Amino acid sequence: MRTNRIVGTAGILTMLAALPAAAQLGSFNPPPGPQKTFALTNARIVPVSGPEIASGTIVISAGRILAVGASVTVPAGAQVIDGTGLRVYPGMMDAGTSIGLSEIGQGANATVDVSEVGSFNPNAQAFFGLNPQSAHIGVARVVGITHVVSRPTGGILSGQAALLNLAGSTAPQMAVNRNLAMVIELPRSGFGGRGFGGFQAAQNASNTQDVNRTRTRQLDSLRALLKDAEAYGKTMDAYARDKTLPRPKQDVVLASLVPTVRGQMPVLMVADRATDIKEAVGFAEENKLRVIIVGGRDAWQITAFLKDHDVPVLITSVMDLPTREDDPYDVNYGAPAKLAQGGVRFAITSGDAGSEARNLPYTAGMAAAFGLSKDDALKSVTLWPAQIFGVADKFGTIEAGKIANLVITDGDLLEAKTNTKYLFIDGRLVPLDTKHTDLNDKFKDRP
Amino acid sequence: MRRLSTIRSFEDSMKKTIRLAATLMAAASVLSAQAKTVATGPGATLITNATVLTVTKGTLKNTDVLIQNGKIAQIGPHLVAPAGATVIDATGKFLMPGIIDPHTHLMSDAVNEGSLSVTSMVRIQDVLNPTAVNIYRELAGGVTTVTILHGSANTIGGQNATVKLKYGGSASDMLFPGAPPTLKFALGENVTRKNSSQIAMPGQTVARRYPASRMGQEEVLRDAFTRARDYKATIDEYKARVAKGEKNLVPPRRDLELEPLVEVLEGTRLARVHGYRADEMLMMLNLADDFGFKVKALEHGLEGYKIASEIAKHGADVTSFADSWSYKIEAYDAIPYNAAILMRHGVVTTLNSDSDERGRRLNIDAAKLMRYGGLTEDEALATITINGAKTLGVQDKVGSIEVGKDADLSLWNNHPLSVYANVDKTFIDGKEYFDRQKDIAQRDQKARERAELEKADANQAPANRRAVQPVLPQEER
Amino acid sequence: MATSLRHATAVVAVGLCCTAPLDAQLASPRSVPATYAITNARLVPVSSPVIEKGTIVVRDGLIVAIGATVVVPGDARVIDGTGLTVYPGLIDAYGSLGVPNAPAAGGGGGGRGGGGGGAAAIASGGAAANSNYPAGLQPEVSVTTLLKSDDEAFSGPTSAGITTALTGTGSGIFQGQSAVINLAGADVNAMVVKAAVSQNIGFSPLRGGYPSSLMGVFAALRQQLLDAQHYRDVKVAYDKNPRGMQRPEFDPSLEALQPVLARTQPVILYASTQREIERALDLAKEFTLRPIIAGGGEAHLMAARLKAENVPVLLTLNFPRRTAAPSADADPDPIRVLKERVDAPKNAGRLAQAGVKFAFQSGGLSSWADFTANVQRAVDNGLSADAAVKALTLQSAEILGVSDRLGSLETGKIANLTITRGDLLDRGRVTQLFIDGKPVAVRTPAAGAGGGAATATGAWTVTVTLDGVDLATTMSLRQEGTRLLGSMQGSLGIAELQNGTIGTDGELRFTVTVTLKEGTEEATFIGTLDGNAVHGRMAIVGHSPGSFSGTRPQRAGGPPSGGAPRTPPGAR
Repeated sequence: MRTNRIVGTAGILTMLAALPAAAQLGSFNPPPGPQKTFALTNARIVPVSGPEIASGTIVISAGRILAVGASVTVPAGAQVIDGTGLRVYPGMMDAGTSIGLSEIGQGANATVDVSEVGSFNPNAQAFFGLNPQSAHIGVARVVGITHVVSRPTGGILSGQAALLNLAGSTAPQMAVNRNLAMVIELPRSGFGGRGFGGFQAAQNASNTQDVNRTRTRQLDSLRALLKDAEAYGKTMDAYARDKTLPRPKQDVVLASLVPTVRGQMPVLMVADRATDIKEAVGFAEENKLRVIIVGGRDAWQITAFLKDHDVPVLITSVMDLPTREDDPYDVNYGAPAKLAQGGVRFAITSGDAGSEARNLPYTAGMAAAFGLSKDDALKSVTLWPAQIFGVADKFGTIEAGKIANLVITDGDLLEAKTNTKYLFIDGRLVPLDTKHTDLNDKFKDRP
Repeated sequence: MRRLSTIRSFEDSMKKTIRLAATLMAAASVLSAQAKTVATGPGATLITNATVLTVTKGTLKNTDVLIQNGKIAQIGPHLVAPAGATVIDATGKFLMPGIIDPHTHLMSDAVNEGSLSVTSMVRIQDVLNPTAVNIYRELAGGVTTVTILHGSANTIGGQNATVKLKYGGSASDMLFPGAPPTLKFALGENVTRKNSSQIAMPGQTVARRYPASRMGQEEVLRDAFTRARDYKATIDEYKARVAKGEKNLVPPRRDLELEPLVEVLEGTRLARVHGYRADEMLMMLNLADDFGFKVKALEHGLEGYKIASEIAKHGADVTSFADSWSYKIEAYDAIPYNAAILMRHGVVTTLNSDSDERGRRLNIDAAKLMRYGGLTEDEALATITINGAKTLGVQDKVGSIEVGKDADLSLWNNHPLSVYANVDKTFIDGKEYFDRQKDIAQRDQKARERAELEKADANQAPANRRAVQPVLPQEER
Repeated sequence: MATSLRHATAVVAVGLCCTAPLDAQLASPRSVPATYAITNARLVPVSSPVIEKGTIVVRDGLIVAIGATVVVPGDARVIDGTGLTVYPGLIDAYGSLGVPNAPAAGGGGGGRGGGGGGAAAIASGGAAANSNYPAGLQPEVSVTTLLKSDDEAFSGPTSAGITTALTGTGSGIFQGQSAVINLAGADVNAMVVKAAVSQNIGFSPLRGGYPSSLMGVFAALRQQLLDAQHYRDVKVAYDKNPRGMQRPEFDPSLEALQPVLARTQPVILYASTQREIERALDLAKEFTLRPIIAGGGEAHLMAARLKAENVPVLLTLNFPRRTAAPSADADPDPIRVLKERVDAPKNAGRLAQAGVKFAFQSGGLSSWADFTANVQRAVDNGLSADAAVKALTLQSAEILGVSDRLGSLETGKIANLTITRGDLLDRGRVTQLFIDGKPVAVRTPAAGAGGGAATATGAWTVTVTLDGVDLATTMSLRQEGTRLLGSMQGSLGIAELQNGTIGTDGELRFTVTVTLKEGTEEATFIGTLDGNAVHGRMAIVGHSPGSFSGTRPQRAGGPPSGGAPRTPPGAR
């Protein structure tokens, strides 16, 4: 454990040091405006929480939705935006991305801050790797993705995912919850070794049995770490209550795990194959973790299991090619519909590191083309991810009291041809300029 | 390399006494291979009451399309089905031309001959795999014609192959009859191997290959075309002497590396040039101007928008991505407005997949262009149909729904520019190659076939241990 | 006096074992009487009806008499053949027997170290001196210069009843001139029945130079054949009138291709799948060569064209089979793979029915016991027993152009005999061979004599790490000699392995088309197989190096392939 702790701490320092380098690529995301009082009038409102309002008004103030309805009074002094011919949706949530942590994957390693060295890095926080000026952020938000779960990857305990609003000039401005969830990538059962993230031991396995033995050892290490964190939390609490006890030594790494082992912080467990999903769930239950599956490619095969165990899934593979030669061509397109039929709680995510997160709406649309209802497709990128993370009181629908993350379009939110006309994040009007519009403006009329 | 120089000096020594065979047989052999394409002559099919997206002649509601002998025979309302014709009721459905993907590496047993900087002698046609399952998955996305390109590992890659996705036939059955031959060129990071790994067997080392910079790329191109020009002169000289009636001339040595380059110079083979950055693409256009040939298409051309006027002036097409970007440095300035800017400058622009995955949903990529750059529906559809046909040089046969064209069609349950659409049926030369309902219906049959095969002796594990029957994952009942 | 066969074997064994030391001691070679008569045996001449009880007489290496009523000459050493069956010596119609360290299945490894650098010596196969072409593109190489007489290496094939083989270098693209050899002989040259039988062509790229891909292989083959045509034309012109014409440079490689262009020498093209066969036939057609297909795993799918173009097939007996119980962690074998295993034994019967001429070859079998066992499987799956025997003997000789001296029991032909107790194809036991008229004892093959090296066959679960991301894939691999075949499915997409090779040291290499987020790319895997583990590195153009490692479940036990007991043959 000692070694791991050192690695974890060193990791944070490294990430901090890397921040300025990442920012050197440019400053592409214009800052959002102030939190004023706005009134969106005469718009077709799709609240997701209830039936559509053919023509209604939404009032926003101090970052929140103040009122929504067909006959809402516009407060004096509100900035009025005429929504005639437009539709208002709750902003979409991409719960399966690492946006802001990695800018250019190939040939620019200095812009990649998504993984740490070593296997156990519970205190590697996406929050500290985030580059608020990442061009990916502006590009994603203008399609209506207003908030995301951005997570670190690699190793076994990859670190902590953050819930971010996609507007703000600094990480603190963007973060809704900088310590949203712990990320665990359990070693896959039966798969020989891994080259990244510290599984060197398994790399030299001589057969499947070896791999599984190594895997068992790794799981044991993880278990032990979780138990240590539990004990650490208990000791700290005891000392807080009773200062006559010996003063315990502080430990940054163990401290970071306490909310997880107490079930306060959910765990994102990355798993795609049915056996791996089941194992992840088993491990989580054994250790009393609140598990959310990320990946979930084959989750449709075990819907009853997932329903019984009440495990939600953040599906990342809707657009992926089938992985088996004999799979039906639409096996991944059709997976969300099967999850819905099976009563599994799920959200559709882009599954992309960042630059292509903007495909989220079309990904949900593709699921709708293959059996998911359009309503459910919309919920799978708005309300459902919010519910899965327990933030449905703030996000996911257009209801009074929620954070004003809204997207105003000229058409169906999930359609590729639809244009975003206005965008509100955190009750602020967000300019629709991006790195792409900048370059477009610069060159489109070049003779 | 030693062989090359030997041959060259050998050739020089022969020049005074021997002169050359006239016709370049590479082109001829392509044609003869294509002639084998099966004319299955499927029966007539009448698709009735569809919304027909002709792409070139607007959208026709409640319209019938008659397919006969693999061609589109009639388009109009209330057509009469010939005796024996299959009638498909397409009420509420949308018929569009088969999608054309101008740049893919589908169904290829090899992608790169990366050993040398100039490998114009290699042909994708020689390594097609007509059984690749991803062909079927593209058909399920409405794709009917693709060009399979050599990779981008070297400055002058190989000869590409344009095929119709007639899954189930042999590779030669799938070659697009009459499609002009093409040649792949590549520029930028992949060629200079800036972030490519070179791995070797234990004990081996990999020598660095020229060029390692964009400067060297230009030099390689200039050298190759200069050699090709000399080669052409040798051949022309030989032809002239034959024409004058000289007897007993030995034709010059055929050079498979230079022949395709001569064809590019002569305009009979189309140059398809992979490039990302504006500067490298402009270099190529200028070099082509110097040598008097046209670049047919810039592949990806992600920064094409920065030099749209120059591309338009040269007359090159661009096959781009809708919105892929930022995956490497040379893709960081890629923008989704690229296609729209190029089209507004008069450049024939298409979308390509470069991916067996993306190839299945080019319709959605096309729809994105309506958002980014404001293309009309027909313009958006053109980027995955008729424009591709133009870039491939087959616009007389495919790319739009017009009488007389090949019956390469896809029928959708919704407007194909909608994300909610999926493909009902795909036709090539009037023959059905994909049918969603049939696909769904045969899934149980496949499971039974697997169970039956698992029982066979050859599928038992040794020691006669009865294997645990592995089955394709089924939904829990 | 008739001696028992057992006795005869003992005599022969003494003769063979002791000849060399005695030679060393004696001033002159021994003159061992070399006339044998096998009496009361069932004789299968192949070229004529079976003689249920007859005598065959062998003298000075040749068959001198055969029939039901042959009089045993007075000088003959008589072997009582009661209960025995005599066949013409079986022929393994393709491979690299007698070539030390050569790939067991031809068409395998590319010429190592070749490419661009002239004619450096290569580890396996051979390189010609003074060639203008790199190793692997030297048609002038003759396998006869590489042969070694090796009792140990021959113990495997001879135990399977094989007396004769077509052998090639098994390395490179133009693999050079093959030879038909007998698997015994006092010296290597005595083994050679016929040299320059064929030009063998493989389609595996060279390592470390051009051509490094399958398409490069075709381009290189084409250019060299074109150059050979040009060389011929120039030489004709020069020979007609050398005055005033510069002397064309002598080129041994292009010289060696002249019989190929003139169709006096056939080309044996290694091609297994339908599309490989189609490509090979197209190439042969383009240059009007005389093609023979070796391998032919999917030849039955090409039967019509093979028949129409009169192309014979040297059919592999290395039938794919499941080698281990499927792992719960791996994705299930695709239906395609299951079907290949079921179809393999049906191949020969289908070719026979279609009228395609074929002969059997061992195809890099890892166990020589499978040689006749798999012929039996072919018989169980629709091939007539007569046709099977013919494909092991006379038909083989015909295809290889040596039926004037081999392939049947006829007077005047070389006395290569395979003698069994029981029917060869009904689990009969090979008890004795005659090669060039001399008895050869059948011994249990030495370990490693017939493959036995590390085999990659099986279902592997592999993790590929690229750009910091782990991608899980299942690889269904199949090893045939040094060829590595198979497919993969999983997070890198679905594709078949290309250009796969594996050395006896477990060093492996293949390319495969993968689909990543960024697109469809070609990946080169280079690594090492060690028991039930594999690991190595992976390269993709435009990406930094990746790595892979994988394992497979330990074998359930039993031989690597074909080990499962087969169903007893039905009554024929």
